[in-house]
Amino acid sequence: MSTRKMKLGLFLWATGHHIAAWRHPDAHVTAGIDIDHYISLARTAEAAKFDMVFCEDAAGLREANVNIASQTSRSIGFEPISLLSALAAQTERIGLVSTASTSYNEPYGLARTFASLDNLSGGRAGWNLVTSASPIEAANFGATGLRPHADRYARAREFATVVTGLWNRRAAGHDGESFSVRDPLDIPPSPQGAPVMVQAGASDDGKDLAARTADVVFSAAQTFEDAKAFYDDLKGRLAAYGRQPDDVKIMPGVAPIVAATKAEAQAKYDALQELIPDDVGVALLSSYLSISDLGRYPIDGPLPELPESEGMKSRQALVIEQARRDGLSIRELARYFAGARGHWRVVGTAEQIADALQERFEGGAADGFNVMPSWFPGELDAFATLVVPELQWRGLFRKDYEGRTLREHLGLKRSI
Amino acid sequence: MHLAVSLNIASAAGQVSLTFAELAAFVRNVEAAGVDMVIISDSSDAPSTSPFEATTLLAALATVTSRIGLVASASTLAHQPYNLARRFASLDIISHGRIGWSATMTQNPREAANFSRPEGFSDDDFRRRAREFINIVRALWIGWGRDALLFDKAAGRFHDPDKMHPLNHIGEFFSVRGPLNVARSPQDRPVLIMSGPSEADFDLASGAADVVLIEGRPSEALKVAVGDLKRRAAAIGRKPEIVKVLATMVLTSEPGTDSLQALLESSGCDGFNFVLPADAPGLQSFTDRVLPELRRRGIAGQGQQGTTLRAHLGLGAGGEQ
Repeated sequence: MSTRKMKLGLFLWATGHHIAAWRHPDAHVTAGIDIDHYISLARTAEAAKFDMVFCEDAAGLREANVNIASQTSRSIGFEPISLLSALAAQTERIGLVSTASTSYNEPYGLARTFASLDNLSGGRAGWNLVTSASPIEAANFGATGLRPHADRYARAREFATVVTGLWNRRAAGHDGESFSVRDPLDIPPSPQGAPVMVQAGASDDGKDLAARTADVVFSAAQTFEDAKAFYDDLKGRLAAYGRQPDDVKIMPGVAPIVAATKAEAQAKYDALQELIPDDVGVALLSSYLSISDLGRYPIDGPLPELPESEGMKSRQALVIEQARRDGLSIRELARYFAGARGHWRVVGTAEQIADALQERFEGGAADGFNVMPSWFPGELDAFATLVVPELQWRGLFRKDYEGRTLREHLGLKRSI
Repeated sequence: MHLAVSLNIASAAGQVSLTFAELAAFVRNVEAAGVDMVIISDSSDAPSTSPFEATTLLAALATVTSRIGLVASASTLAHQPYNLARRFASLDIISHGRIGWSATMTQNPREAANFSRPEGFSDDDFRRRAREFINIVRALWIGWGRDALLFDKAAGRFHDPDKMHPLNHIGEFFSVRGPLNVARSPQDRPVLIMSGPSEADFDLASGAADVVLIEGRPSEALKVAVGDLKRRAAAIGRKPEIVKVLATMVLTSEPGTDSLQALLESSGCDGFNFVLPADAPGLQSFTDRVLPELRRRGIAGQGQQGTTLRAHLGLGAGGEQ
């Protein structure tokens, strides 16, 4: 029996990760305005001994086309810092991780806010650093549009340096390209010292920044080979920054659909796929490809040739590779990606899902997984009651918390 | 007659900071005593020793209280209007309609130095920027129509696309397309509070604020300010009674309830905002000695008339002003 334990995050996302989740008969459709729903999800994850809950975020709408947007549940939801602060008071042990942008915040304010969340939660806070690739967000913060990829990452590097300096009480005073900060942080040291640093960028710039500053890396990988290549690449970059392979936990996303039999699980998945309107699927695919007009190509034809995007470079490459490899039409690709948003989809019994997770975990392709239930609360409940006990029985996942802080759950040093 | 309690959790430098449990117990005590709202600020000229930032603290407090209004100070220097509007709208949903934003109307040099504005703004620029900021936030809060969310699973329509309104603001200091990605909150707009506005801010306060906090002494100055604010509100077509003016009183010892009653009658103010020291003995003294006296005199205990902070304060719906 292995002593190394899998890390599990619960990726919270509106009514569920499937684009049509909100239409599922059992999905809690008012999730985006119901705090009790989120408290209940966090407690379910805590009872199942998850390391953390994670809130993805964007400071703007997800979809520019109002007709498409109105057919999804993603235009409204809680602002994540307030949501997690509320959850801090209603949970005891589980980690609380939120996305926040380096493009639309100031480092002093962000460092204060997450230090406060760390204090409120007794050391359970984490920050997922994003540079924000969406022009929709950019339009809420000025008239000059989205900054180029390289500029966003230059700003992010400076931002991360200032924030970690403030958390770790390094010498105060920063006067840089994008930011100036005069004083030390005016919040006493929090239980973790520094909240956990998370990143998900998979471009070269993103991986280097993660290797330098992240404790946890979220990723998207369809195949074992892709997951393994990403894992080895990122861990290989750590030495250059004087870090050990175990200093960073790599947690790819997984979108499971679990049921008592494989056939039942497949039927659940098929029913969900049927709920996706074609125009919504194609629009979502367009946004991952960072182009605006995929709808003008024949839906049953192949993907057209595309220029490299200024937005999410790594995600675009992933989608294109998938399409070419499997010879998928736009419709097929749209449905496939709408289902799990480019993440790894596993449909089957608890044993089959545990097998798949175990293979990647023991094969050196993952330190754990960011679990993306297709709809809430049903698919979280199914994972917590079927898959988690199976992982525990195999000795792959903890039966109880051993530590108090998120750093302790993850087996990380106190501070970076 | 309305009652607020203000705590500056940043002002406890050198003292033992309040824990979350102590703060929660205090807020529940004043909630039980019928206080309309607690106003929390976390910023001062000197470095704070408080472990909490005000808006995050408010979210946690919202889950352990059920009636009292919860207000956080947040400055226009330390935030972007889109982010601030989101945070407070989200807090309003979390608290089921009990949230207020106390907009800081003075420039804090410490904030300027730490938020990449080492030179700060001129007073005039700061004021124009604050005005633009506040108006953006107020407009973002009502960008979604009240009945915009349809939740129609069968028809596949989550919201009504015609009831989601972008802002398309292009101003001197900010460009914000909107709309918010947070639903219309229970109060339409969280309650907007302005603390200690200078006379130059009176137009903004009387035109946009729901509650204005004015120094209670000297009483003559208070009376003049109350009259001035209500006149200006009426002049632009607002009902004067929906701009509440509370007299800020720093409680050093016994409140002197006779003089409070007299001040209420002579100034025409709508109630009081008691500023308490953010330390355990100060809070203990207020709940054990001051509150019972205020209740006995009928100064406390009349609040919390409804389920939302707007209802407690006797304000109209936030979207209709």
